[in-house]
Amino acid sequence: MSGGVRLEGISKRFGAVRALDDVSLEVAPGELVALLGPSGCGKTTLLRSVAGLEQPDSGRILVGGKDVTGAPTRKRPIGMVFQSYALFPNMTLRGNVGFPLKVRGQAVDRIADRVEELLDLVHLTDQADRFPHQVSGGQQQRAALARALAPAPEVLLLDEPLSALDAMVRTRLRDEIRRIQQVVKITALYVTHDQAEAMAMADRVAVMNRGRMEQVAPPLELYDEPTTRFSAGFVGNRNALELPVTDGHVGFGGALRVAAPNGGSGRAVAFFRPEDVRFSANGHGHPAIVEGKMFQGSVTRLHLVVEAAGETARLYADLPSREAAPLPVGAEVRVFVDAANVRVFPVDG
Amino acid sequence: MASPTRASAEPRGTAGNADTANPARATLRWVGNGLALWLPALPLLLLAIALLVAPTIELILSSVRGEAGGWTIQYWRDTLASNGGRQAISTSLRLALICATLSLLIGGPLAWLISRMLTLRRSVWLALLNVAANFGGVGLAFGYVAALGTYGMLTLALRDIGLGFDPPPIGSLTSLVLAYEYTNVPLFVLLTLPAMGILRTEWMEAAATSSATRAQFWRFVGLPMLAPFLAAGWLLIFTWSIGIYGLAYAMGAGAATIGRLRLITLQIGLTLNTGVGREERAAVLAVVLLLFATVSLVAYRIILHRALRWFG
Amino acid sequence: MVRVGWVGRIAFFAAIVAYIALPMTAVVLYSLSTRWTSNLLPDGYTLRHWREGLTETRLQQAVLRTTWMAAATLVLDVAIVVPAVYWQRVRNPRIRILTELSAAIPFVLPFVVIAFGILRLAGRYTPELLGTPWIILLGHAAIAFPFLYWAIDGAMAAAGISRLNEAAQTCGATPVQILRHVVFPNIGAGLATGGMLVFATSFGEFALVQILVGARFENVSLYSLNLLTETSSQYEKLAVLTVVVFVILFAISVAVVALNRGQAGRFLPGVRAAEGGRSE
Repeated sequence: MSGGVRLEGISKRFGAVRALDDVSLEVAPGELVALLGPSGCGKTTLLRSVAGLEQPDSGRILVGGKDVTGAPTRKRPIGMVFQSYALFPNMTLRGNVGFPLKVRGQAVDRIADRVEELLDLVHLTDQADRFPHQVSGGQQQRAALARALAPAPEVLLLDEPLSALDAMVRTRLRDEIRRIQQVVKITALYVTHDQAEAMAMADRVAVMNRGRMEQVAPPLELYDEPTTRFSAGFVGNRNALELPVTDGHVGFGGALRVAAPNGGSGRAVAFFRPEDVRFSANGHGHPAIVEGKMFQGSVTRLHLVVEAAGETARLYADLPSREAAPLPVGAEVRVFVDAANVRVFPVDG
Repeated sequence: MASPTRASAEPRGTAGNADTANPARATLRWVGNGLALWLPALPLLLLAIALLVAPTIELILSSVRGEAGGWTIQYWRDTLASNGGRQAISTSLRLALICATLSLLIGGPLAWLISRMLTLRRSVWLALLNVAANFGGVGLAFGYVAALGTYGMLTLALRDIGLGFDPPPIGSLTSLVLAYEYTNVPLFVLLTLPAMGILRTEWMEAAATSSATRAQFWRFVGLPMLAPFLAAGWLLIFTWSIGIYGLAYAMGAGAATIGRLRLITLQIGLTLNTGVGREERAAVLAVVLLLFATVSLVAYRIILHRALRWFG
Repeated sequence: MVRVGWVGRIAFFAAIVAYIALPMTAVVLYSLSTRWTSNLLPDGYTLRHWREGLTETRLQQAVLRTTWMAAATLVLDVAIVVPAVYWQRVRNPRIRILTELSAAIPFVLPFVVIAFGILRLAGRYTPELLGTPWIILLGHAAIAFPFLYWAIDGAMAAAGISRLNEAAQTCGATPVQILRHVVFPNIGAGLATGGMLVFATSFGEFALVQILVGARFENVSLYSLNLLTETSSQYEKLAVLTVVVFVILFAISVAVVALNRGQAGRFLPGVRAAEGGRSE
């Protein structure tokens, strides 16, 4: 089992922009933590700091218990997979995978054995003697993964490794990477902007926004119980309605009424999932008009327009496709929101 | 590379505190960082400084350094006032201007035509031009003599046909232009060929469907767009021509008229080789060349910079 | 109207081809002629000059000297330019300011002026270097490096060297290992093109050799000049030498063009190539 990673108080500025603001994170040995967030949130900068490709202005980085802050990249016990694969075009896949061992001066036959083992792990034995430009993107990325694992590093760093691949290859490779990570039991940090990817793969997800860590939690907990306004809005495709707080509650019409955390006044944002928007058959609930329908397989996502607190708002509602089918665009329906899973955050929060 | 990589990053809370307590160690670290930043480039930079930058500075200083040790502009005054100096400068300028303009007038259309050719024909032409661009110096001087000298091939051929032809005397301005252009025109074409690609066929078609004649297309669209690149080529050939030495020397030497044609480069070379003439004056001439070339290069960069901003 | 244009174009091309072919044709014929003073073509043909010329020691020495010098210049330039460009791309971009400034000097200053400056400078500080081939080696390396520089710079950009460098670092490679295993193998075309230009520049160079060393290092250009200024009967040998030189340079040119096919044309010297491929 490899060691863990510990980040303490990492800060980094690029000119006037604060890319990382006092970020701390602890990754347990063998754990895969996804760094999730929109572009510019600092997730890549953080990953590259662990790799030594960026130098933080302050803070400490420990890999496998060793303080590597300030150490040059090549001396850190890491393996890294890049978005663009970054395989060396002048070497075969076999040569690429063996490269980290060659530069460490290991014996040729030992390298050969280890390379065979790794190629087998990523199912590339047949393509081993081809050059990067002769194989597909997915195969290149698997070779890059094998290369990163070759020197048995303490931590595996992955920088949006699937972004350059097309959708079908992406899902397959995503599962492959997770499988291999668990088989080898290696600690991993995985940067992505795709929440489905993060939620599917990670033991824990670290949500980042504007250089800060918003929330670090296992996927289900993040999905059900976002603790910050940003996490609530970013993860889970929630509806977000900004409403005035009256009497310590927010609501609209007959559809919703929940307690607000900021006391008696001000404004708050209510987050609720499309699957928590229910249609009432008996005339209760709030009027809404079906503006559009998007067929997504077993579920159809309806775009609804409602009047809430004097303003027009748009909501998503997910219905099983069979139920959604008879509803034409333009139909008038009545909806209410299942209050059980609504999360409310004050507006300035 | 045993020490940390970037000089600017001193993470708080690390062993950095020890350095502030020990200034000698801090300086050593700073030197180490500096070396790490520049070391692989040092051999090249040292070579360039020693053999390019320092000699240039040396020449500039020589032209204004007085015998007694102070500064003087006497050499400048002498050279610019003397017949020899003035002639050399004006002939060199004239020669370079003619050469640059000729190569533009011939090379421009040639580059355009070649850019429109298909691969095979184009490769043939490119090979031909590469050949000509590389045939220079003394060999070319000989080739010129063999072709257009008093007993040159072309001279004899024309005389055979009955066209009494007096070839321009070797060492005259005309002969130099003809010889220089042999290298200049191909060079101009090779330099401006890539830029020809910016004129897309759709534009010519669009002009045609707007009822413009070919001449109008060139006048309003084609030439204005190509102008910066053509100008850049002109400047390069100008700078190149004003500095040609080997070819000029050989042509002058071959006909024993080396004293007759005054070019800046020849004057410098003569002074150095025969010991006739003061070195300081040669230094002045050298700096004059430097000035012309610098102005030309600056203009070149400005033009290119502006042009490339339009095209990205 | 179109007809005239078509004919004019053919005439234009023909004139240019003739112009280019003329000197070399004359030289080749000279090298094969017995006597040639009054007619379009030589009076007679012979291979004598070729036999004599190619076996003459002085000529062989001149060619060998020139070739060795050009090869040595090439090796020296590759050894010092590649690490510099690598470092300025992956570590210290500020190097570029100095390198590009230096690279401009041989374009701006004629070689004879550079030779003059070196002469004065060396005369003052290192007079023992004057008259030796070493100063020529250094001089040629200095004036020819811009060609290699621009070719290598473009090749590194095209290969995405900074991304490959990062990956190699995460594999644990030192800069020397990266240069050897990652950089050099991936800039082949740039090395070849730039390298050939360096070779050709040194091979045909005249000013530095004449001014800094003179008769003590008689390279091809100096020897040619001697043949040119001696009595006419040496013209045939000069013709042989010129053809030999020409063939060498021609072969290099063809190789350069062949290697450049498929490579995006750089607009004009001095335009820096931006790195393609994915960015962060």
